[in-house]
Amino acid sequence: MSNRNIAIETVSLVKTYTAYDRIGFFKRVKKRVKALRGVSFKVYKGEVFGLLGPNGAGKTTTVKILSTLLLPDSGDAYILGHHVIHEATKVRKLIGVSLSVERGFFWKLTGRENLKYFGMLYGLDGPELDQRVDELLVMLGLEELGAVNKLYEEYSLGMKARLSIARTLLTDPPVLILDEPTLGLDPPSARCLREMLVQLAHKKSKTVLITTHNMFEAEIICDRVAIIDKGQILAVDTVDGLKRRVADVVPLEITVYLPAQASIEHLTEILKRDTSCPVKIFPEEKGHRIKILSPPDTVDETTSRALKSLYDQKCNVRKVEVKQPSLEDVFIKLTGKTGFR
Amino acid sequence: MSFKTLVKASFVQTIYFLKNVKAMLITFLLWPYLMLGLILGAGLMFGSTASFRQNIGLNVDPIVFFIASTVVALISISLMWGVAGSVLELRWIGALPYVMLAPHRFSITLVVSYIPNYLLIASLQILEFAPLIILIEGLEIGLLKIAVLFLALIVGMLPLMGFAALFASLLISIKEESNILAWLNPIILLFSGAFYPAYLLPRWAQFISWLLPSTYTIELARLSALIGAPNLSTITFMIGILLGMTVAYNSIASALMGAGERKALREGIIE
Repeated sequence: MSNRNIAIETVSLVKTYTAYDRIGFFKRVKKRVKALRGVSFKVYKGEVFGLLGPNGAGKTTTVKILSTLLLPDSGDAYILGHHVIHEATKVRKLIGVSLSVERGFFWKLTGRENLKYFGMLYGLDGPELDQRVDELLVMLGLEELGAVNKLYEEYSLGMKARLSIARTLLTDPPVLILDEPTLGLDPPSARCLREMLVQLAHKKSKTVLITTHNMFEAEIICDRVAIIDKGQILAVDTVDGLKRRVADVVPLEITVYLPAQASIEHLTEILKRDTSCPVKIFPEEKGHRIKILSPPDTVDETTSRALKSLYDQKCNVRKVEVKQPSLEDVFIKLTGKTGFR
Repeated sequence: MSFKTLVKASFVQTIYFLKNVKAMLITFLLWPYLMLGLILGAGLMFGSTASFRQNIGLNVDPIVFFIASTVVALISISLMWGVAGSVLELRWIGALPYVMLAPHRFSITLVVSYIPNYLLIASLQILEFAPLIILIEGLEIGLLKIAVLFLALIVGMLPLMGFAALFASLLISIKEESNILAWLNPIILLFSGAFYPAYLLPRWAQFISWLLPSTYTIELARLSALIGAPNLSTITFMIGILLGMTVAYNSIASALMGAGERKALREGIIE
């Protein structure tokens, strides 16, 4: 892929925050938190790119730097070849940003009024602005939902998310940067928003960078994904490419009810010890889901060892499944420890 | 990218707010009279209008005197909240990053976008008091005083905006959403002589009052109340001071706002 096709590029981004721990009424201790430790990746024009990682991985920090809202300690970042620090004003004209879907608008203004205000703030005016706002209200389905002339304070989270995406599109920028765009949305709203993002990239040639900790979301909408953890990029590839990295393991899933006094950490350690495989336990709505990455040739042995350990720990096993590798497995394998949902 | 759309954005936003929140519109219209009533009521509890004239040393109508003070005081508070306080409001509602993403310097966005709001508030408040002033002073003198009062508000707005932007730079650069304006505003009004003439304050307090642009705005506004036919040289002198302060405060505010913005961008507190 040539440089002309690069929409977003970060080169060795480093960012450290200063935080304070309060240890008394007047006393506090300063501490340095490394949010980014040399983050580098490229996003190509017209693709949906996912920055996937758990909370505190550095996703929002990266997004804020790309949005010109945060200065890195070192490293560089470019949007369509423009430096985000030295050419911030140019960069701002090229991006649409959504940092939170649930706030960021004036509560006592309607959806249309909010969009008109921000449109004027970004330099649009007259019939051009009116036409753009109307277009977006239809495109994002807000008109259909009857939300156009409703006050923002009366919006559902799904409507707020749509309005937030509408604002990113006001000036029709070529690059969209969205921080957790489906966070907190109900499944139908999240699905609808995901479809819109894919359409924006594939039909309207927008470059879409999203952050998410939802592996399912990354898997279904992202053309490529970067896995980030503790401020470092662990891998960048297509979803299939990433999955191929775990072709040497078979994900084994066991659904269990744990005894009331059971410790997840303790059980994880026991299973790791007994199976000699990476293990992660996820709390589910009903019970817990245990994921074990087993070598293909020892799946039966790993299963029986795991089941024996679980019986010894008085766990009530509900279901045992052998799965296809997913992004979650890639993450477990890359970090060698936790996964996330 | 022109300032026109920026100014227009602020204007339509104010209109939308007044349209959507009727209680805000009613409060907005009642507020000046409530404030005037409070000041006059408190004054009459401690003395008569004759004793007021005696203390001031001039033959002045206390109602007109306090109308001038009230208008300037209310508009100064509104301006401080509108420029400096908007940083807090935008942060509270989570809109600060999106306003900062506008292709203008943030200080410009803050200050310029408040101008229509200011003009609207100033015009409405003067219009509200106009019948009372004309009733007390007669048509000719009344209109003259209203004109001087409006002039004072327009010229007084310029340094006050820089002054408010100084506090905006402070508010943007601290992570705590400290509401310093809540206690700062009454102090500024006290030292500016909004409730009691600045020249009657203790010497140390007078020194502080000289540094505050609102002091000169209030003095200029009071000229309309104290003098039947305002003295041109005195008005020119006051306007000169205010224009000088405009350059000084806006230059300092511009530099500090840039520094505050950089600090906020370094520390990641734009949210």
